Amino acid sequence: MMQRSFLAQNPSVLWFISILAVFTVIVTLLSEVTGVDMISTSFVKTLGKTLCLCLVAIAMDVVWGYCGILSLGHFAFFGIGGYAIGMWLMYARTEGIVLESLAGQPIPATPAEISDAIGNQIFGVVGSSDFPMIWAFADNLFLQLLMVVLVPGTLALVFGWLAFRSRVTGVYLSILTQAMTLALALYLFQNDSGLRGNNGLSGLQNIPGYEGVSQATLSIVFFIASAVALGAGYVFFAWIVSGKMGSVVKGIRDNEARVRFLGYHVESYKLFIFTTTAVVAGIAGALYYPQAGIINPGEIAPIASIYLAVWVAIGGRGRLYGAVIGAAFVSLLSSWFTGGGAPNINLGFYVIQWTDWWLVLLGFSFVVVTLFFPKGIGGLFDMLVRKQS
Amino acid sequence: MSMLLEVSGVSVSFDGFRAINNLSINFAPAELRAIIGPNGAGKTTFMDIVTGKTKPDEGSVIWGEQNASLLGMSESQIAMEGIGRKFQKPTVFEAQTVRQNLAMALKTPRNPFAVLMHKKTKPNAERIEAIALQIGLEDSLTRVAGELSHGQKQWLEIGMLLAQEPRLMLVDEPAAGMTPEEREKTTDILKEAAKTRAVVVVEHDMEFVRRLDCKVTVLHEGSVLAEGSLDHVTSNQTVIDVYLGRAHA
Amino acid sequence: MLRRYILALVLLFAQPIGANAQTLQDILQTHQEEVLKPGRRTVGVVLDDLVASGLPQAVPFLEAWRDREIVQRESDGLFFAVAEDGDTVALRDLDTNEVQTTAPDTALTEARPNGGVRRAIGDALVQFQLSDPDIEKRQAAVNAIARSMDASQLAPLQASIEAESDAALLAQKERLVGMLNASFADSTQDRIAAIEALSGDLSVDVRAVMNTILATSAHVALTVPDGANVAQILDVGTDLTPAEAYDRLVAAELAPPLVPKSAIREALIANISDGSVGGVAVAELNTDAARETAYDALAAAGSVEPRVTTQAQADAVAAHIFYLSYDEPDPSITDVTRTALTAIETKVGLSQTVDLGLDALSLASIYFLAAIGLAITFGVMGVINMAHGEFIMMGAYTGFVVQQFVPDYTLSIIIALPLAFAITFGAGVAMERLVIRHLYHRPLETLLATFGISIALQQLAKNIFGTQARPLTSPEWLDGALVFNDVIAISYIRIAIFVLALIFLALILYVLKRTRLGLEVRAVTQNPGMAASMGINPDRINMLTFGLGSGIAGIAGVAIGLYAKVTSEMGADYIVQSFMTVVVGGVGNVWGTLAGASLIGFLQKGIEWLNPSNTLAAQTYMILFIILFIQFRPKGIVALKGRAAAD
Repeated sequence: MMQRSFLAQNPSVLWFISILAVFTVIVTLLSEVTGVDMISTSFVKTLGKTLCLCLVAIAMDVVWGYCGILSLGHFAFFGIGGYAIGMWLMYARTEGIVLESLAGQPIPATPAEISDAIGNQIFGVVGSSDFPMIWAFADNLFLQLLMVVLVPGTLALVFGWLAFRSRVTGVYLSILTQAMTLALALYLFQNDSGLRGNNGLSGLQNIPGYEGVSQATLSIVFFIASAVALGAGYVFFAWIVSGKMGSVVKGIRDNEARVRFLGYHVESYKLFIFTTTAVVAGIAGALYYPQAGIINPGEIAPIASIYLAVWVAIGGRGRLYGAVIGAAFVSLLSSWFTGGGAPNINLGFYVIQWTDWWLVLLGFSFVVVTLFFPKGIGGLFDMLVRKQS
Repeated sequence: MSMLLEVSGVSVSFDGFRAINNLSINFAPAELRAIIGPNGAGKTTFMDIVTGKTKPDEGSVIWGEQNASLLGMSESQIAMEGIGRKFQKPTVFEAQTVRQNLAMALKTPRNPFAVLMHKKTKPNAERIEAIALQIGLEDSLTRVAGELSHGQKQWLEIGMLLAQEPRLMLVDEPAAGMTPEEREKTTDILKEAAKTRAVVVVEHDMEFVRRLDCKVTVLHEGSVLAEGSLDHVTSNQTVIDVYLGRAHA
Repeated sequence: MLRRYILALVLLFAQPIGANAQTLQDILQTHQEEVLKPGRRTVGVVLDDLVASGLPQAVPFLEAWRDREIVQRESDGLFFAVAEDGDTVALRDLDTNEVQTTAPDTALTEARPNGGVRRAIGDALVQFQLSDPDIEKRQAAVNAIARSMDASQLAPLQASIEAESDAALLAQKERLVGMLNASFADSTQDRIAAIEALSGDLSVDVRAVMNTILATSAHVALTVPDGANVAQILDVGTDLTPAEAYDRLVAAELAPPLVPKSAIREALIANISDGSVGGVAVAELNTDAARETAYDALAAAGSVEPRVTTQAQADAVAAHIFYLSYDEPDPSITDVTRTALTAIETKVGLSQTVDLGLDALSLASIYFLAAIGLAITFGVMGVINMAHGEFIMMGAYTGFVVQQFVPDYTLSIIIALPLAFAITFGAGVAMERLVIRHLYHRPLETLLATFGISIALQQLAKNIFGTQARPLTSPEWLDGALVFNDVIAISYIRIAIFVLALIFLALILYVLKRTRLGLEVRAVTQNPGMAASMGINPDRINMLTFGLGSGIAGIAGVAIGLYAKVTSEMGADYIVQSFMTVVVGGVGNVWGTLAGASLIGFLQKGIEWLNPSNTLAAQTYMILFIILFIQFRPKGIVALKGRAAAD
């Protein structure tokens, strides 16, 4: 009853879900799985990854566009989600390989021998073979999935509680979140972090227990899963930001002190939004990295979180579809330019190679968007819709 | 008569400047009070202290029948205790509609989960419409607050204050930038509100204060200079000196 | 034996050379066998005679001998130095140095001294060299002794002191004699005296000498033997684990070795019969307990060595005493050395603290230079400039480009500093006019817009200058370091950066407190509206402030480029630390930035000192500290108070 009235009040949500569903069906039909093979498996992976980026972008939009907290740490939560699922993927897969190789031995291996062999496989690259504490649950998919949600959530809760209670706001908060992200990345870069230092976790595209399933099929499964997650995330956040919660959250963005004098405990609301979006970012990361195949600390570096903000700004803050448009548009364009897809421009005296000049273009166009189109692409969209009606 | 709010012996200084100096002032549960005073007399700082924005260096602020101290409470806790505040500059949520502004102020549970699960109810809607009628915005409920005129924003803010159903309303310069007719209406709203609660109005405009027709407290250099009817305080020689700038003679 | 040559050496210098009619060849002929096939024992005779002869040509001979360039002509048994020249072989007379014969088919026997002998020859050479008229050779000999620190060198070194004419070298020789005496003097008194004399010396080699004297080795025995100079009795459980203790027992052959898990496994595999081992089915051997049961069964049957039980291990460990004893048997010497070393280490510790302080100070000056521009723009305008780091980079590249045109490094730096200021000032003003001006009161958007500029500038620099690091060479007079003692040293570049930071501190304070511009800037900082109404043009002030902040970043870039590498990413390396400096210090205050830079500089060095192996971890901890610090002082160290700061 409540759901229906909520969707009825928010026609854009229905539109979004319909478009996403159609898109998902079309991509699936055109993929290698159905035999049509018009969309290559690697492009299906790119699209699936893009959907995950759209999901984390919505989370960013809620925390920044709606609640006014310019967090430069949400891509770190995304990465944590990736690491959490990556630990299970890597452990379970290595366990399978080790058990297979030990099966030929004249006497069966002891649990300690198996564990040592797995440890050697995973940590040999950083000169260790012991399992660190943080891998305690790596053998259990369910617990590790729980970590996808719990670790970013807890980190966001603790960090947010500390920051919000001391009333750190605005650019201070941005810098503080950036510092948190940097600390996390630096920590992960260490070889003794227990997460393989700058080697990161790899081979994540192989799903343990489904070794016989082709990458083409897996890519479609993950693509659909990402689409479902994006749809669910969209509905969830649309529900949060519409209604009274949305009023309060937007109120906090526009005038925190006023909301406080109305009797709302602003810190709780910020913490709620910060933590919820961090959890969603973690889930998005957990879906992204099995499609990417590898995760390393470089992914978590502060710059990634700033790019996330750039996507949302270009797409248009304060409207969820804006974040989706921004993330999809900029990340796909970025891989087109940096992947050598864009034709070079020969000026006669100089050849503009987009692999070198794309960042320059992105940087300056970002300035232009901030200056002249503060509402982003989503703003243009709004104007079109308003003109027609 | 038991007091709703008792402020006693409060002092606060910023970088050596004493903004409030041993201030003591009391308000009854249902009264209308005007606070006047020259610039820098400490009117706004007094409100900051009562609403929890500024912590005083010494003194006590005692509230209600339970004689609870407000000093340890956060702004939101104080607001929940029943102290509402209207700022000097109208601060409404300009990106949201008048209805959303009022709905946010309505006296409903304030914790995030209650708000998340909040459902629109008929009594609440009626309450919003009643307040809108009172502040003359009944036709503007779906308008975005940013589009309202200055006076309408002032009323909307007073309306939000009423929606909070506070026991003490602190109103900072409600008449600033209003036409004479708008002032009259504002006076009526405030007088009506003061029948059931304490309303404290900080105002510069003597005409407006005269129209309120209530007890007046004069603040100067962070403490109470005089108290009584407007005629009484305006005939006080010290008050005249202060307003004419001969205080230190 | 060595002492005898010394005597000879002393005699040799006491009387004029030449009284001896012997030739080198004569001496060699008397020791044909020893020259050709010297052994460690027999070589001494030859060396004795050579030293005794005092012949100057002995030195080149010894060198040639050591380098295996001495041959004997089989036809007449004469020795020559051989110099191969293509196909022909040139034989050089050892006395006259003339090239005598060139006969490719002559039968020659090469003298092949082994390693030990060559070392002995080298020692003999050192004696000659220590008294060589050429000071560089003497210096080289002293350096060689300092490297090897061998007992045999004490006497020749002592002998050469008297004749040493160079004061600096004399001091070195005396110091070296002291160190050698501490280790090798004959009498205990002499050694103790030498050790005590060294106790004021902080140098690494003195500490090495003392540590060598105090070298210990681990022993295990039933009781501590008499006469052992025991350094420490080890307590099993605290000083070493029971497993380590047992391993030592095994190593000392006082206990039977353990049977490792891998050996158990192999023994089991070797004894599989009919799908089971020692009565345990093979499929059940997947726990250590099951394997041990099976192995014990095999041991009981006598087919393998029995395992050492845990109880037996514990008993064996308990029955023995584990201790460290000094290699030096004389306790009086080790006691004196320990006292001396403790004294030295206390001084070294103090000096290290001072050195660390100096390091921290120079790091703080770098952070100050990097952050002060940011602090000014942030404090005055409330603008976070994410491209600040790229202005630092622009300054550094300016220095690099100037050096391409001006080869004189001193001149190029003198040109680069103002030029970098001018260029980044211009860039800052342009950015303020084109971008930031339109974004006042939208700080988060300013942050992002300047970030866009930052990535564009970074990539532009990459496109222009490439990804590899470019050098910014400092002038020669900035090379080297100011050395206070063996521990405290600070490089001149760091001093220069420190001085630069001081100059800028003074300059900025002067501009802000003593000039009209500064007054206007402060007015705009405190109340922009009021300032505007007093006739101050905030636009102009903002533009100038931003230019000034950016210009200082350019100069910081030159300074940083001098001691670090110039890359397109160098700005990004400093930007977060710069932000931290500003935030920790407190916004809008020069002293705050100074305090922030000092806190972060000292903190980073302090953490690095506590955890020297891992700078990444040090940085992580520092950032965590800062995050916590902000909790307790959200407004920074030097916080503005009052109503101005409330909003």
